Amino acid sequence: MHLVELGEIPFDEKEILRYAMMPSTATAPEELPLGECLAAARSAVRCRAVWQRYPLGWHEKELDLGFAKTASQNLRKHLEGCTEILLFACTAGGEIDRRINREKVLSPVRGLLMSAIGSQQVEGACDRLCEELEKEYPERQLISRYSPGYGDLPLELQRDIIRALDCGRTIGITLTDSLLMQPSKSVTAVIGMKERKTV
Amino acid sequence: MSLSELMKRGPLFLDGGMGSLLQAQGLMPGEAPETWNLTHPEKITAIHRAYYEAGSHLVMANTFGVHPMRYPIDECERMIRAAVNCVKEAREESRTTPHPPASGHLPLEGKAERFIGLDVGPCGKLLKPLGTVDFEEAVGYYAQIVRMGVESGVDCIFIETMNDSQETRAALLAAKENCDLPVLVSNAYGADGKLMTGGTPESMTAMLEGLGADAIGVNCSLGPEALAPIVERYLAAASVPVLMKPNAGLPEVKDGKTVYSVMPDTFSEQIAALVPKGLRIMGGCCGTTPDYIRTLRQTVGSSVPPQIAPSAGTVIASRSRTVELGKDPVIIGERINPTGKKRLRQALQDGDMAYILNEAIVQEERGAEVLDVNVGTPGIDEAEMLCRAVEELQAITDLPLQLDTADPQAMERALRRYNGKAMINSVNGKQEVMDAVFPLVKKYGGALVALTLDEEGIPQTAEGRFAIAERILTEAEKYGIDRKDILFDPLTMTVSADPSAARVTLDALRMIREKTGCGTVLGVSNVSFGLPAREVLGSIFLTMALHTGLSAAIMNPLSDAMTGAMISYRTLTERDANCGEYIRFADTLPAKTTVAAPAGTAKAVGTEGQPQGLRRAVVKGLCREAGRLAREALEAGTEGLDLIQKEIIPALDEVGKGFEEKRIYLPQLMMSAEAAESAFKEVKARSIRTENQKNRCRVVVATVKGDVHDIGKNIVKLLLENYGFEVTDLGKDVPPEEILAAVERLHAPVCGLSALMTTTVPAMAETVELIHEKAPWCRVMVGGAVLTEDFARELGADGYGKDAMASVRLAERFAEEGEEKP
Repeated sequence: MHLVELGEIPFDEKEILRYAMMPSTATAPEELPLGECLAAARSAVRCRAVWQRYPLGWHEKELDLGFAKTASQNLRKHLEGCTEILLFACTAGGEIDRRINREKVLSPVRGLLMSAIGSQQVEGACDRLCEELEKEYPERQLISRYSPGYGDLPLELQRDIIRALDCGRTIGITLTDSLLMQPSKSVTAVIGMKERKTV
Repeated sequence: MSLSELMKRGPLFLDGGMGSLLQAQGLMPGEAPETWNLTHPEKITAIHRAYYEAGSHLVMANTFGVHPMRYPIDECERMIRAAVNCVKEAREESRTTPHPPASGHLPLEGKAERFIGLDVGPCGKLLKPLGTVDFEEAVGYYAQIVRMGVESGVDCIFIETMNDSQETRAALLAAKENCDLPVLVSNAYGADGKLMTGGTPESMTAMLEGLGADAIGVNCSLGPEALAPIVERYLAAASVPVLMKPNAGLPEVKDGKTVYSVMPDTFSEQIAALVPKGLRIMGGCCGTTPDYIRTLRQTVGSSVPPQIAPSAGTVIASRSRTVELGKDPVIIGERINPTGKKRLRQALQDGDMAYILNEAIVQEERGAEVLDVNVGTPGIDEAEMLCRAVEELQAITDLPLQLDTADPQAMERALRRYNGKAMINSVNGKQEVMDAVFPLVKKYGGALVALTLDEEGIPQTAEGRFAIAERILTEAEKYGIDRKDILFDPLTMTVSADPSAARVTLDALRMIREKTGCGTVLGVSNVSFGLPAREVLGSIFLTMALHTGLSAAIMNPLSDAMTGAMISYRTLTERDANCGEYIRFADTLPAKTTVAAPAGTAKAVGTEGQPQGLRRAVVKGLCREAGRLAREALEAGTEGLDLIQKEIIPALDEVGKGFEEKRIYLPQLMMSAEAAESAFKEVKARSIRTENQKNRCRVVVATVKGDVHDIGKNIVKLLLENYGFEVTDLGKDVPPEEILAAVERLHAPVCGLSALMTTTVPAMAETVELIHEKAPWCRVMVGGAVLTEDFARELGADGYGKDAMASVRLAERFAEEGEEKP
């Protein structure tokens, strides 16, 4: 098991506004309190991840992911040609949730923005983690990440992932009975690995 | 020597890792170690035995992962019994082996001083308010585990690897309520010196000592070197023995195998270096083996930790922050108290938490360091409300709270729930009150505010008040309450009723300070009751009290005069380097009114054809400007009704239409809604009845059970309120019965439900069905990311709100149609 501190993830305002339901084609109103929210978010975000490599088993009816088996057809298609996977969980931490709750009390729009910041931060952290994994396995080709809830990959897989990566202990992610991750700004995903094609 | 004696004297040696040793014996990754208590007891026993033989005094049963949230209860019981039996057997087998003759001062014989601990770990889920597990539910589970351990014959309870303070509290409380054995509590810290949910060594020490932990400290997550500074902070703050059980450094994967970087000798040297500083209980966690423990014993040798020097300061704490009383004067915000506050009383009766939370944040931003919380209001269940307020306040602020109630039952429920060490307001010299409150302080911990009055009333003299203070101290001593945890309130009386009132209070304050050494608290504002310009008198009295040695003032931090007096005092008594705090405070003071800024005026004129004034401010989402323009218009004589109908509503309609046509996006819509709200507030503040708003229809909104996403729901609420609906917001993760109860109580014709996950849609369906069955007059609209028009219909909902505006339109339609469903 590998623990990674992902450091400070740069704010991407366009992306944050997209998470706040504002398309990149629109211009943000000047009065939007984004600057204040960004300042308050900086100290509340702490991105960490844990990952682990597993062999990938191809069976007739299901995929053996090494930590669990799944009959998902979409994931099967996505992982075509892969022989191994990297499983990871990544979180922006619990403080940002508290900050979101606090901003919601002050004003709904600040709550929306703070939540959008959290989403952008954890997604940015995932991107950074994937870059690091690419460097870790220069001889392999890594396939884009795939999360429970995408396509027909059941959300129930979260239970296996959280257990396999001992997330409660390693980076503090827990699951509710309704399979919500807490802290809320958290992501789990599978990355397929295959032999790099030699040109 | 008993375990308790050994803990206090030290060094006491614990065991080391279990999981990594089992994996070496064939435990598969992902396989639960506790299942081996039943399937491979001989292997578990062998590991325990190796630890005893290496020199561990206290070995933990293999029960870390046993929890009723993971296994059926009878299986928990079987596993715990088997686990404890493994240690008993190991202890029996190891009797022939003497402990290594390492610690010279401890004449250890083979038979003596081998103890068994029940290992208690986290449940794997997060407690409320950030999570969904209820605190009392968690206490109940831990109580079961503790009782099973006690029945199996353990010598102590070892609560470990906890990374959330509230769950730590739940486990500790369960242990204290269900056995008389020593309880050791160990938390898992990150490299930043904090728990996953923000706790610090200081806040955990205050909290855990208050709850009666027998030893506290740290384990897991890091190696001894990285944990050392955290342990030193514990040693500085604690009055009970401190323990340490680090990992063998950080895990690394080499050739597909997990290995740990720190070897036994380095590990032992790093721990042993802390013994002269006071560390007295030590062992190892992940990656450590009997070798580590053997080397550790040898390295510590005859070294003995110095006697524990109990810390003297009065410390209170939230989950993550401590405040020391008696050093620098502290502001306790008084505004969450319904006495004389109509709006707050109304909010409490409506269960409107947002109002209370907002009061908390505003006070914090104006410098409050502790918040007084009093919710006593006719017509509500005070115990329930105080408990809820505590939980919700702690989700948004990390200021410590002062629980303020005269009802011992409400106090107990709030103290159970409070995540930290609270201030308890209050007790007094009446025997009956002391009998009710002291046991609570003893059990839950806390800093107690004691009023100097008794059955005879409030003494007229300083000597009289001091005598009561002494009596209270004597009585508290009987319960074993440390006097550092008692602060006195010598009572502020009204100077208009008695010219000597202030002098007597200050004299009593001085006597108490000088003769008992205890801290003091005063609610200062009462001094000016019945007089004009109250803040002038109040702020001077505050200054005098501070000069007499007041530790904390219960006051209104929003009053510039009062806060100014407090900050000035700090500045004038060398507590404000470079006058920084004073200058920051001065920046917040309203600027002297000069001629209206021309820039703002020009901006408000706008270009031709564009809406102007208030309407423009709402369209543009200018919150403060909208409020100001509304106020000015009302002061100039405009009717509230006109303002709403001719300015605010048209602006909202314009924005709403833009949103529906995708010219305007969600953040803009919300900013306009907030601007409209601040204009509405001005209208309401002039107590003009708002029936003129289009609708007076009641709407109940909630995020369904199991779901904690509430941003969408909050947006719908805000917009509905803009459009004149009377919204009751039940919050998130709300069970169907609770939603039904609110619909029935209010006879609400419309209910809005939100769910964002496929897994919580069943709870939504259940709620819709329940409301339709029991409250047929109510129409239910639903919304949320996973829903579609068709899906909503399948659920049986009466309408689907694809976004906030659509929900408003739906509610308007439902309101117009009335109770008769089409």
